[in-house]
Amino acid sequence: MFKKIFNKVIFILSLFFIVNLSSNASFCAEISPLDKIKERGSIMWGADAEGGAPYIFPDPKDPEKFIGFEVDLAEAIARELGVKAKHVQNAWDSLIPALERGDCDIAMNGIEITPQRKEHILFSRPYYVYVEQLVVRKEETAIKGIDDLKGKKVGTLSGTVAQNILEGMGGVDVKIYPGQVEPYEDLAIGRIDGVLLDLPIAAYYGKPNPKLKYAGNPMGEGLYGIAIRKEDENLKNKIDEIIDKLLRTGELKKIYEKWDLWNAAQEKLFENIQGERGYVDLEKSKSAPVYTFFPYLIKGAGVTILISVTSMALAIILGLFLTLLRLYGRKPFNNLAVAYIEIYRGTPLLIQLFILYYGLPNIGISMSPFLAAFIGLGMNYAAYEAELYRAGIMAVPKGQMEAGLSLGMSQGLTVQRIILPQAFRIALPGITNDFIALFKDSSLVSIIAMVELTKTYNILAASTLRFFELGLITAVLYFGMSYPLSLLARRLENKLKRKK
Amino acid sequence: MITVKDLHKSYNDLHLFKGISLNIKKGEVVAFIGPSGSGKSTFLRCINGLEYFQKGEVVVDGIELHSINRIDPTKEDLEAIRKIRLKVGMVFQQFNLFPHMTVLENIIEAPVRVLGIDKNTASENALALLRRINLENKVNCHPEDLSGGEQQRVAIVRALAMKPEVMLFDEPTSSLDPEMVGEVLSVIKDLVDEGMTTLIVTHLMHFAREISDRVVVFDKGDIIETGLPDEIFTNPKIGRTKLFLSRVLNK
Repeated sequence: MFKKIFNKVIFILSLFFIVNLSSNASFCAEISPLDKIKERGSIMWGADAEGGAPYIFPDPKDPEKFIGFEVDLAEAIARELGVKAKHVQNAWDSLIPALERGDCDIAMNGIEITPQRKEHILFSRPYYVYVEQLVVRKEETAIKGIDDLKGKKVGTLSGTVAQNILEGMGGVDVKIYPGQVEPYEDLAIGRIDGVLLDLPIAAYYGKPNPKLKYAGNPMGEGLYGIAIRKEDENLKNKIDEIIDKLLRTGELKKIYEKWDLWNAAQEKLFENIQGERGYVDLEKSKSAPVYTFFPYLIKGAGVTILISVTSMALAIILGLFLTLLRLYGRKPFNNLAVAYIEIYRGTPLLIQLFILYYGLPNIGISMSPFLAAFIGLGMNYAAYEAELYRAGIMAVPKGQMEAGLSLGMSQGLTVQRIILPQAFRIALPGITNDFIALFKDSSLVSIIAMVELTKTYNILAASTLRFFELGLITAVLYFGMSYPLSLLARRLENKLKRKK
Repeated sequence: MITVKDLHKSYNDLHLFKGISLNIKKGEVVAFIGPSGSGKSTFLRCINGLEYFQKGEVVVDGIELHSINRIDPTKEDLEAIRKIRLKVGMVFQQFNLFPHMTVLENIIEAPVRVLGIDKNTASENALALLRRINLENKVNCHPEDLSGGEQQRVAIVRALAMKPEVMLFDEPTSSLDPEMVGEVLSVIKDLVDEGMTTLIVTHLMHFAREISDRVVVFDKGDIIETGLPDEIFTNPKIGRTKLFLSRVLNK
């Protein structure tokens, strides 16, 4: 396992140094996806748990577990295949790219079957018929249906059919949101005039809000399908078979009934809910005691620590290598080090992560979210560490090098034994500072499907709407991790100062 | 022992040495005097390769060091420099002890790492050397805990631990408080009395006269006069030497 990661790291590093990005590398073996799933013993299905109710969201009783009607469906499909269902977290708008790069076998998360999508991927036979529901504020009288939206601000999700409808109408001021919670929040406080989204979303987030109401009847029927890679035809056939079977046996109906999503007149079914059948609504998520979220948050914090520590280790080692190359290397390697440092410092970390995770698969190099986070953060911070070391080395008096040389020590030995230990002491406060900064920057890796502390917070807050208290707890967790680090660093500095 | 032939050195546009030559015999003690900036220290540093030069030749005990282009020295150049440095010890004006190491670690670092002497033997040698300069009780101190004079004595001993055949002293007392000059000079004098080939750049005229076999006078990058100390100090032949001596001796 470690050796494998190590090999990959070496490979990626050499790739960056050689700069020559040849594109024949491929890590995927060519076996049928169905065999691969069976061999693995699990089907990996991509979905976004952030703001995913009632599709997929954390169970308020046990937030480490995800529930939702698509979770039930995924489990039914997996059972029929004789394997386990394994959820793969991904932001909703990158589900299809994630599928294409092979992060998951299927993507199922309220993905509407559209001709544009069909150009890139296969869809299973539809597993749900959705409608679009307009939601407005309770006191709203001017907007009675979708036809009254001209000149109004209307929120929706990016990449949805609702967005196409709104934009196709013309004259509507469409506000695009990345998640399904925020538009309803903004609507309630008056930032926008209406929200048009799929009914399951409206039923979970819009309807229970006392400040909001439905406007008009549902419209714009459409179909959800399971997204499958174009080349995985036999997987698609198998899943079609399974959906067919679930329909015939009535199991699919049961799942939808459990979540109150069955039937064309779905809206009526939403009226007398309350969890008799294990259904979880927003009120329940909202009122769950806060400690139930702790284990899940702490798990996220653990991932944050793991990413921070490993990538800082990479930054410290790679940074040292870059500095030595820059100061003592021969041409053109010293210039290469300068170029590396300038490029990494001069471009946003976010872009670097995107290229690493979503860009490299285009040329045949695909890596796990953790590996991408480790390399992305580590290589970025290496540039900063290199500059810190360089400043430290420059601050060591010239006479130290001359003393070493005049004693017959080689330049390399003098650097190692005399210059670096002194430079390190000078650079230490900066390194500590960078470690704390990296620690917080690690939240950026949530964009490459890494579920660390910040992402965990987003997922929990989105399904419970408890942004405030969960936010405070998350902040306290971050502080609780970074403050001991500061104390430790201060002690180390004092110890070194005394020794000098 | 040391031969310098036709040495040329320039910094950018400034042409410092325009072909100077000097021979030093084994066991000889040579003092370099002259106004500040006249090139005495640079001359010394050319001998052990701390300074590069454009043209000329330095030979130390048969090892030839040709003009070195610092930007891209050849393998032979680097090897020659390394060999010369093993024969030549150097003491600096600023001591240049390693602040992160104790006195003992300062002294045994090069013998252990460069000569491959085992740590215990090197430590015993170091202690013997420290005893000679009465600093064995400071063996575990860090340089910052020592006075300037003590630091410079340790620096001398650190160079001696490599068992050099030649010692270069580059203004060894210029950074010291006056009351500490004596202790450093007496260590140097002991060394000279033992027959060490010694090159010393100094502003202390009485010391130069007392200790050296020969005095070399530098001015504006050129050797303007060499001779026995008594001759130079009582009866210099060159006008510029006279001028320089009258300035420093009347101070």
